[in-house]
Amino acid sequence: MELKSSIQASTYIIQAQEEEIKRISNELHEGISQHLYSVNTGLEFLHSALENPDLKSYVKELAAQLNRTIQEVRLLSVELYPSSLSTLGLVAAMKSYLKQFTSTFGVIIHIDTIGHEQFLSESNQLAVFRACQEALINIAKYADTSEASLRFIWKDNILKIEIEDDGKGFHLKEILGNTRCKGIAAMKQRMAMAGGDCQISSEEGKGTKVSLSLPFQR
Amino acid sequence: MAYNKEMADVENLDTLFLAECKNLHKRISCDFIGVALQKFHHPDVNWPYVCGNTNEKYKHVTVRYGKGIAGKVIATGSDMLISHFPENILGKSTDYPIMLAERLVSAYAVPIRVNGVPKGSLLIGYRKEHPIDGDQFYKVKEAVENMEEFLPSYFKN
Repeated sequence: MELKSSIQASTYIIQAQEEEIKRISNELHEGISQHLYSVNTGLEFLHSALENPDLKSYVKELAAQLNRTIQEVRLLSVELYPSSLSTLGLVAAMKSYLKQFTSTFGVIIHIDTIGHEQFLSESNQLAVFRACQEALINIAKYADTSEASLRFIWKDNILKIEIEDDGKGFHLKEILGNTRCKGIAAMKQRMAMAGGDCQISSEEGKGTKVSLSLPFQR
Repeated sequence: MAYNKEMADVENLDTLFLAECKNLHKRISCDFIGVALQKFHHPDVNWPYVCGNTNEKYKHVTVRYGKGIAGKVIATGSDMLISHFPENILGKSTDYPIMLAERLVSAYAVPIRVNGVPKGSLLIGYRKEHPIDGDQFYKVKEAVENMEEFLPSYFKN
């Protein structure tokens, strides 16, 4: 009974957190970014109207700084919540994330899709996306490898995802028993919330494989 | 290292940077040395010159201005010392991609300037906890001074 209410509580916390993250991401993208664009347009107008070369150059520098800020805000918004998930779907959002992942950590991820992508609810897409993100970040942090693979397998009523690396691996029981390693527990919890499953296999010196599965209705 | 200005105007800029890295590597016997520079006409920062690397990840790493150890050093114009990564760091360990990529534990990074403006960073790193003393600070600063002489040519190319 107590275990059930604890799972319900953590489910509620994860959902509430995701909603808040999405709200902040939208606010950054559709609120703050748009205001900054307006200021940028104003600066461009000022730049063309000014005659004093010192002021002109100062305004140009301000515009360049503002452009950098706009770019930062846009990237921060995407980092918080991948809006392409609802517009372009899970695979496209993941490909976009992988580009950013490689340019951040230098680890190349080979992505492969078998079968045709099927419709998943936004919350289920997000659960899978976050679980993949966690698995990939663990590769960057601990696997000590330069390459890994991510495979989407779309079957009739189930999506399977395999994330595999040939890095240094770990002793699974030790890690699962360590209360400080909450990332794996969070992955399992997210997948369970979506009605799916997350299995991990690893051996020291022989890499790690994360297998996600999510049943869906066509 | 003696530097002849004309040398930097020709094609051996890469050789000059790498020679400076290798020279420093010998003088302070650290595990890793990297030079991070801003891209041409772009605020993003990458690692064009490294020495003592254990993999090729650095070739793909691009950090935004103000992010990562190099981005922070360039944005603030201040040195940065990390004693025991990932403990006692500001932010998350994933905010320090070069430390993760090269499995560094201790590191020291210094800005490299062009006309007084930070445009790059020189980093020395160790894969085990290692104190960084005054002598190392001095040698790193000396290497930075040499690099600052030929760095303007990098941005002219």
